[in-house]
Amino acid sequence: MADHNDPNAVNSIFSDIDVSAADLYDIFGFPSDDTDGGEKVVIALTFASVPEAGRLDPDMLYRIQIAPGRRVMRASEEDQSLGALLKYFEGLKETYLGTLRPFEVRVTVDENNRAHIRFINFPGGSFSQVIETNKSLTLQSPDGHPIKAYIGGRDDAFFNDLPGFFRSINYAPQFYHVPHTMTEARELAIPKTLIELEGNDLFNFDPANPDWGHGVKKDLPPGPLTWNGDKFAKDKNGNYRFVYSGKDAQAGKNINAIILEIPLAYITRNPEHRIVNCWGESWVRKAANKVETIPDDPFWLEHPHVLIDALKLDDELKKYKLVDTDGQAFADAALSEREDNRQMGANNFWLAPHFIKRLAHLGMGFGPSITALGLKCSFDHGNSPVSVHKTFSSVLHAFPLVKPVLFQEMRMPDDSWNPKGLNIPLRRPVEIFIPNVNAIDMDTTGTWPFGRRPEDQVATRFLSVFLDMNADFKGKKYHVDIMNDPAVLDALPLEPKTPPNPLKNDKEFLKDFPYLAEAH
Amino acid sequence: MNTDYQSELERIEKNIAELRDHALVPPTDTEKVTKYVQSVYQHAVHTGNLAQLEAVEPVIDEGIRQIRFPGDLYFLKANLAFKLHRLDDVRRNLAADPSLPVSPEGRAIQADLDFQEGRYAQARDGYQSAIASNRTWDNLARLAHFEARMGDAAHADRLYVEAEDELTAKEMRSYAWVELQRGLLDLAHGRHTEAGDHYARAERAYSGHWLTAEHQAELLGAQGHYDKAAALYQDIVERVPKPEIQQAFGELLTVMGERERAQPWLDKALAGYLDPAQRGGVHYYHHLVDFYADVLKDGDQAVKWARKDIALRDNFSSQAALAWALYRQGQFGEALESMNQALASGAWSAHLFSQAATVYRAAGRAEDAERYAQRAAEINPRHRSFHVHR
Repeated sequence: MADHNDPNAVNSIFSDIDVSAADLYDIFGFPSDDTDGGEKVVIALTFASVPEAGRLDPDMLYRIQIAPGRRVMRASEEDQSLGALLKYFEGLKETYLGTLRPFEVRVTVDENNRAHIRFINFPGGSFSQVIETNKSLTLQSPDGHPIKAYIGGRDDAFFNDLPGFFRSINYAPQFYHVPHTMTEARELAIPKTLIELEGNDLFNFDPANPDWGHGVKKDLPPGPLTWNGDKFAKDKNGNYRFVYSGKDAQAGKNINAIILEIPLAYITRNPEHRIVNCWGESWVRKAANKVETIPDDPFWLEHPHVLIDALKLDDELKKYKLVDTDGQAFADAALSEREDNRQMGANNFWLAPHFIKRLAHLGMGFGPSITALGLKCSFDHGNSPVSVHKTFSSVLHAFPLVKPVLFQEMRMPDDSWNPKGLNIPLRRPVEIFIPNVNAIDMDTTGTWPFGRRPEDQVATRFLSVFLDMNADFKGKKYHVDIMNDPAVLDALPLEPKTPPNPLKNDKEFLKDFPYLAEAH
Repeated sequence: MNTDYQSELERIEKNIAELRDHALVPPTDTEKVTKYVQSVYQHAVHTGNLAQLEAVEPVIDEGIRQIRFPGDLYFLKANLAFKLHRLDDVRRNLAADPSLPVSPEGRAIQADLDFQEGRYAQARDGYQSAIASNRTWDNLARLAHFEARMGDAAHADRLYVEAEDELTAKEMRSYAWVELQRGLLDLAHGRHTEAGDHYARAERAYSGHWLTAEHQAELLGAQGHYDKAAALYQDIVERVPKPEIQQAFGELLTVMGERERAQPWLDKALAGYLDPAQRGGVHYYHHLVDFYADVLKDGDQAVKWARKDIALRDNFSSQAALAWALYRQGQFGEALESMNQALASGAWSAHLFSQAATVYRAAGRAEDAERYAQRAAEINPRHRSFHVHR
């Protein structure tokens, strides 16, 4: 055993694995305005433009899973205890892991950048086709439905002050060179907040270095990576400073996308199915498959814990490895901390306790900053005068604080989301984030949280879950877009008086398919 | 058309060329420093050049001086020290940054250290714990390597399969490496055809790597295809200046009866082993033991180097090597003692048992000798065929 043969010999400290093509960004979904020939649903899965916009990685496989269902009407007297909540999650779990058989659109590209698209198990029939990329095409389903498809490069439809969000959660890698092995230096143990903390030099805006966090990184400073203050920062006029700038960090950037416009009749024949649940997955080809010699799999037999999952995979998927999932906006970034082992897609039920604890952790940070601004907060932070960094090990402790957030209805700015004026209950965070799917309500416009339209400012809407939707501002009830309202911003002791995130994308969305703007 | 190996090497060389002149010149940028140092390290590893590998250390040191949180570079230095068998340096570098010993990567290396220093139970626990918290292909391969050494080849191969299952199309070099390990497992049990299949798959996965060719050459030698093996070795030794490959080539030529042709390669190999040792390097102690014991049949020198090796890492491998050196020196009683230590570890291989049989026989324990000889033959009926000292 001279041991020049250990895995050290091939392992390296920095990943030379380029799987960024697997990095899913967003999944949009909304009912199409075009109802000629029947209702249609638009679904757009976007991901990193690697190797480049318009050219997809042939080692990747993308799935869009689609499960139509009924709209769940809420019982008039609902048990909002932790036990009932966990039971609710359990019921969902049984549905998603047991009875639900989602249909699927599967996409790979070949070495010539032609897309192989397959529609699997839809009531309107399964079929596959090889299509050109970067071109809007209409495919014909076996039952004669026209399905619009576009696979290729587009402008990034996400418009968001991502550095602002990372500043709010003190996420060091956005601002600093964080060593790979320094795993504790990601989200630093500093209270999360929407307004700057006095003396939080690690993250507060530096006027002398305005690009810091926007591509510019510093070396981590010496000393403890913590904050020891006890109040929010104020300027000479007594105003707080917003951690958000309102700038579009994605401006000028491209993505690759799979965009579909599918007749509802192809997805379901049940007229009661008014919800189209969808989520996306990225899979990367396994090495064994690359050399076209799949090893016999004693692995599966030796490890029954993975057998359950394995049995659900068809032969093709066994040749790939799941990397990323995307369903609900911010379900990963904010609530799952984007840890690889939490890439569960719709099956994120086992995360439910974590979700409650994480929401409480966020609430202890964001909550006091919301209150300090004079806004009503839905989270019970115990009237803390300043944001607190608190982690929760027990869901029992977290749940009472989080309960008002979980169960409040997310009020919409007006009734335009419900053009038919139907009796559709407003959605609540507890229903939005678990399961991790984009649940498109076909009787609405599909604006978030009834789906997700490209023009929705979801980052700001996500923050609004911490606002008390029963409160009002100058006689008007809080709603999901209230932080975009100039009148509200003007009234707050806050600088800059900009919405946290941009109100529109850097490029106009198209009115028709494929909806997302052309690549830059 | 470039092979995968050439393409990767060119990519690394391009990185080095782009960064060489300014990466370490203040004011430095952490990412550039790290990328440059890592590229220099990778180049040395991929080319198999020990001198180049030794020369990486001052580059890492300079990188460490240039950045405020050099934890990654200390980790790289620990890896380098491990490759050079400087186990105290591994410990020192892991301890240099408080985040390293508790990091998943740091804990895996700690388990490697335990294995190398003969703490087998801790090593196994460490690997299992590393896998439980960080189920990566390399941690699975580490445990597989351990199980292979401890004689559970079937379990080892299953672990290698699991490691492969974690690897994606973006990691073909690593996949090829695991295939080579699976091939070695088969080779160690005399399953030449299966070993060849794994080596061929490694070549398909990552073409043009000298490491794969070197394994294929050994297999050809073991199969008795000496001419083909020699032709392949000839090609490899011209590409890669590794003394262990030169030794293998020389030994193959010796087996073929071409002693005159063999001698320059054996001389080169010995010089290649002694040169770093004379500069204080410990990397080749183990090879020097083998070389003196098996090529030169010089027991005194073999024992000298074996004692140096065992002072660095007291494990079944260095114990068995010392036993073999002592046997060669004619110190049969002491050889038996050392061999018993090695056998007590639970290590299990045809090579070990074959040497044990010889040592026992020399010590007058014919019955035990026969038992070990039988065991060696059971594990690998072809264990006396040409093989490389790894």
